[in-house]
Amino acid sequence: MAETRTFQVSMSPHFGSPHSTRRVMFDVVIALLPALLGAVWLFGLRGALLPVVVGVAAAVAAEFVCLRLMKRDTSAALDGSAIVTGILLAYNLPPGVPWWLPVLGSAFAIVVGKQVFGGLGSNLVNPALLGRAFLMASFPVLMTAGWSAPFEWRNAAAGFETHGMPASVVSEMPVADAVTGATPLRAWKDSFGMESHDGQAVREGLTDPGTLMNLLTGRRGGCLGETSIILLLLGALYLFVRKVLDWRIPFSYLGSVALFGWILGGPGFFDGSAVFSVLSGGVILGGFFMATDMVTTPVTHAGRLVFGLGAGLLTVVIRRWGGYPEGCSYSILLMNLATPLIDRFTKPRMFGEVRKHA
Amino acid sequence: MSLWKDFSNGFYTENPIFRISLGMCPFLALSTSVQNALGMGAAVTFVLIWSNVAISTLRNVIPDKIRIPCYIVFIATFVSLVDMVMAAYAPSLHKALGIYIPLIVVNCIILGRAEAFANKNTVTSSFLDGVGMGIGFTLAMALMASIREILGSGTWYGINILGQAYADQPVLMAILPPGAFVLMGFVLAAFAVIDRRKERAA
Repeated sequence: MAETRTFQVSMSPHFGSPHSTRRVMFDVVIALLPALLGAVWLFGLRGALLPVVVGVAAAVAAEFVCLRLMKRDTSAALDGSAIVTGILLAYNLPPGVPWWLPVLGSAFAIVVGKQVFGGLGSNLVNPALLGRAFLMASFPVLMTAGWSAPFEWRNAAAGFETHGMPASVVSEMPVADAVTGATPLRAWKDSFGMESHDGQAVREGLTDPGTLMNLLTGRRGGCLGETSIILLLLGALYLFVRKVLDWRIPFSYLGSVALFGWILGGPGFFDGSAVFSVLSGGVILGGFFMATDMVTTPVTHAGRLVFGLGAGLLTVVIRRWGGYPEGCSYSILLMNLATPLIDRFTKPRMFGEVRKHA
Repeated sequence: MSLWKDFSNGFYTENPIFRISLGMCPFLALSTSVQNALGMGAAVTFVLIWSNVAISTLRNVIPDKIRIPCYIVFIATFVSLVDMVMAAYAPSLHKALGIYIPLIVVNCIILGRAEAFANKNTVTSSFLDGVGMGIGFTLAMALMASIREILGSGTWYGINILGQAYADQPVLMAILPPGAFVLMGFVLAAFAVIDRRKERAA
């Protein structure tokens, strides 16, 4: 009896790559860990660690249940992509949210954002950001009010009840060294509604070197994973070294936010602050960890530059004229949807192909 | 027997919403609460029955080339009736349904049944078809509205059933437009699963 041998037949390209899904995803998890430490330092175990842990657990559980229901290989639930989604979703929540918020968000992200489209590689938009958009639409109060200030947990431990107090009072307290109640972007946006003189003063206060330094070190209100900018950059550096991250999207996204933030961010033209635009909100987290999702961003090099440019412009436009103070997540979601189009228009010519005359 | 078939067709096998996917506009827009859903269901059913009856009665008189405008005239007449009666006797419902009442004129279910059924069937069959399709539409509306109202407001027909803690912080997206599309997808998927099971059993 002749031995039947099966040959692996697959589409080109046939060269291998050391980048397996598992390796890439666990590299991303490692890169995200420093920021988690920073978040715990700023917002405490209850404020920062709990949402991340339950978010990850819910994401993996939702993935497992979906794969089981669809009778697929359930080991894919542990390929790390659900873990990354859970972490990123939790990083996009205000610190100290009730435990069920990351659970709901992660479940929605995995089920509606990913599995209904066919799982990893087939999703249209970044699942974590879709989960965040779902939470924003469903629980606007929990998602936009009640930003706990950094170090509030330590003040509470020292016997000071600071929640809801004006930031000026909190900063006088012995333990806290710098605190803001609302997020800097909310303050920036509110400044447009004030008398032009007062608004100008607020904006000057937000862009003075001391405040910018606080933005850099995370001493400000914000989502729990977006404020520790130095630690996020450290993680991003690790990803660059591991060649998981392509420089094009972060470069063009940050550059575009800075450029358009300067041109359009202020009350008039060329009135905004480039540095403030990049350091506030979730630009660093979004630019390095969410706008770079391999599935939902263009594959062409030129396309990646276009993606970052468009997302940066949308971020600034939403910040300046939209209903929310921060536009980072929506800008990335919108550009995710434009990705097939961008890929199509930036398709490189094949070798030897002659440029068509229009 | 075939009369019963004309009548029951709309319930499941040819359910206007879940099977032939007609009338999506009022379905997605007004399934935010059970009350709105039932109000809309009743209005559509009324128009559906009488437009079916009128069109099947006159099916041999209406010139073929201008049949669609003729149908629209009948439908618009009944919609105007519903609009005025509802404004007079149920003003709050009338206000809640708003623009969707006049829009029944261009509701695909009604025009679809006129074109696909009433213009080639007897008056009795058409009447039963209208009733059946109307019930099918109302049931679909009620099902979707129940899901959306319970998730999105924690209530059913205005009655709090999930407790005050939930009603204070419901999953708002369920009663917002994106929630309608997402839940519609899940309901259609559920129907597909049921059908596949049936096929396999048969």
